[in-house]
Amino acid sequence: MSRNRLTIVLSQAPGKHPAKRSLEESLAANLIMEPGLDVSIVPNLYDLGPDHTGRMYLEGISGDLLVLTWHFPRAAFWLLDRIGVRGHEGLTQIKPPQTDDDEEEGESAAPKQGIGSAGELPDRHIYCLDLRDFNTPDPYLAEVRRIALESRERTEGKLAANANSIAPLLQIGVQTVPVGTNGHGSLMKAFTPELLLTPPDRRWYPVIDYSRCTNCLECLDFCLFGVYGVDSMERILVETQDSCKKGCPACSRVCPEQAIMFPEYKTAAIAGAPVGAISGLKIDLTRLFGGEVKDAMSQAVEERDRELVADGRTAVGMSVGLPKRQGEKQAGPRDDLDKLMDDLDALEL
Amino acid sequence: MSEPLQFDMGKFAAVLPADLRYCRNHMWCRPGTAGTHPFGFTSYAIRLMQDVYFLDWSVSPGAVVALKQQIGNIETSKAVSDLFTPIAGIVAEFNAEVLRDPSAINVDGYGRGWLFELTGTLDGTMDVQGYLDFLTANWDQTQRIIKGQMGD
Ligand code: SF4
Ligand code: SF4
Repeated sequence: MSRNRLTIVLSQAPGKHPAKRSLEESLAANLIMEPGLDVSIVPNLYDLGPDHTGRMYLEGISGDLLVLTWHFPRAAFWLLDRIGVRGHEGLTQIKPPQTDDDEEEGESAAPKQGIGSAGELPDRHIYCLDLRDFNTPDPYLAEVRRIALESRERTEGKLAANANSIAPLLQIGVQTVPVGTNGHGSLMKAFTPELLLTPPDRRWYPVIDYSRCTNCLECLDFCLFGVYGVDSMERILVETQDSCKKGCPACSRVCPEQAIMFPEYKTAAIAGAPVGAISGLKIDLTRLFGGEVKDAMSQAVEERDRELVADGRTAVGMSVGLPKRQGEKQAGPRDDLDKLMDDLDALEL
Repeated sequence: MSEPLQFDMGKFAAVLPADLRYCRNHMWCRPGTAGTHPFGFTSYAIRLMQDVYFLDWSVSPGAVVALKQQIGNIETSKAVSDLFTPIAGIVAEFNAEVLRDPSAINVDGYGRGWLFELTGTLDGTMDVQGYLDFLTANWDQTQRIIKGQMGD
C-alpha cells in the first residue's frame, strides 16, 4: 500500500532559529492532520551522514517523495540523488512571493544538456520545496495537497494501465503519524522519532547538479583535497564528501557549467538558486567592497591556497589543475544563466 | 563650495560631493576636526546594491581595527557583501538608526545614512577627482566581475 502513498519529509533548519522552528512545527502539526500522507521529520538533510537513522529512513522510502527543506530545491534534489534517493524531478507550482512573473517565458528554451543522473531512474517522483519562500504554512499545505493529488492520479493511472505487472515492494519507512492512520505501523518501529532526530554534526561538501554537469572533470583536476573521484562509468562523483574544506566553495567557481553547488553557501547562485528564477538572485559584492577586484578563477585559487596552507601544505597558486578552456568556450545554446546576465545588463550598471 | 562630480553608470549618474574624502571600498568620509570621521556608502555603491534590507557589524565600538579588516556584512535587494574597514583606527560609533532601519542609507546616503565613525588618519583616501578616476579606470572590470558572478 504505502508505495502508492506520498511520503513527506520535513528537513529541519540547523541550529535553533526560533522563527524557522515555529514554521516547522506548525507545518508538521498541520500535515499530520492530512489524510493519506506519511509525514516524518529529519534533521538538516545536508548534514545527514551515512550512519544517520534519518538517512537510512530516506533511503528506505520507495514511492513518491516530497521534501520540505531550507535549501534551494535544485540543491536538495541533487543532494538526495547523491545518496541514492533518486527519482524523476517533480515540478512544483509554488512561487516565491517576490519573483517577477514575466520570468517564465524562457522555459521552453532547451536547457543545457548535462550527463544526468547515473543509470536508470526509479519510477517515482521527488519534489522539493524551499521553506524560505514563505513564512506561513498555508502556501505549503496547498502545494502539498496538490502534489498528493497529482501523485495519486499518476499511480492510479499506472495501476490501471498495467494492472498485473507490478510486483509488491517492501516499504521500510516510518512516520511520526500516530499508528492507526494506515496499515503498516509495525514496520516503522525501527525509526523512532528520537533516532530520526539525533542531531548530526554539521557537514560541508559540494553537490553536483548532473542536469548541468558535462563530465569535463575540471573540478577533479582543481581540487587538491581528494574530494572528487569518478565512478565505475568514469562519471564525476563527489567521492569523499567529508574531505572538503569547511566554507571553501572554490571548485564551484571553476566549473564551467555552474553545476557545483554548496547548498549552504551565502550567495544564491552557488547555493543552487533555481536557474530560471534569476530575478531574486543576489550578487556578492564583497570583492568590490574589499577594495580588491578579482575574477572567479583568481578567487578560487586564493581560496584553495588558503586551505592548503591551513593543512600545512604549500600554496600552489595558478600552477595546478586550472582549466585550459580559455578561448575555447563556444557560444553554447542560450540558457537561463545567460538570461541572468541579460538581467544584469538591463540593470544598466 | 565646489560642485559635486558625477559618474555615469548606464542611465544612472552617481553623485559625488566635492567636500568628502573617498575610499577604495566605495565609502565616503567627512573629515572631522578631532580625528574622528563619519563614513558611509557612496551613491555608486548604493546603486550597485539597491535597497538595503539588513546590516550587521561584527565588532563593537572601541575596537581597534586594521585597514580592510572585515567588520560586518550587508544584504540588499540585489546583493550580499562582507564589509571592510576603509582605514585603520578605532571604531568610535555605529549609526544606530541605520541598524534599526537601513532605509536611510538609500534615502540619504551622504547624510542620515552614515554607517560608522572611525578615529584614525585618512592616509590613502582619495579626493573626489581621485575617486572619479578610480571608478572610471575600474568600470569595465567591475561590470565583468558582476557578470562573472553568475558562476559565483
Ligand atoms: S567541473 Fe562541473 S561540469 Fe566539469 S565535471 Fe566537474 S561538475 Fe561536471
Ligand atoms: S570546495 Fe575546496 S576542498 Fe571542497 S571540493 Fe571544492 S576545491 Fe575541494
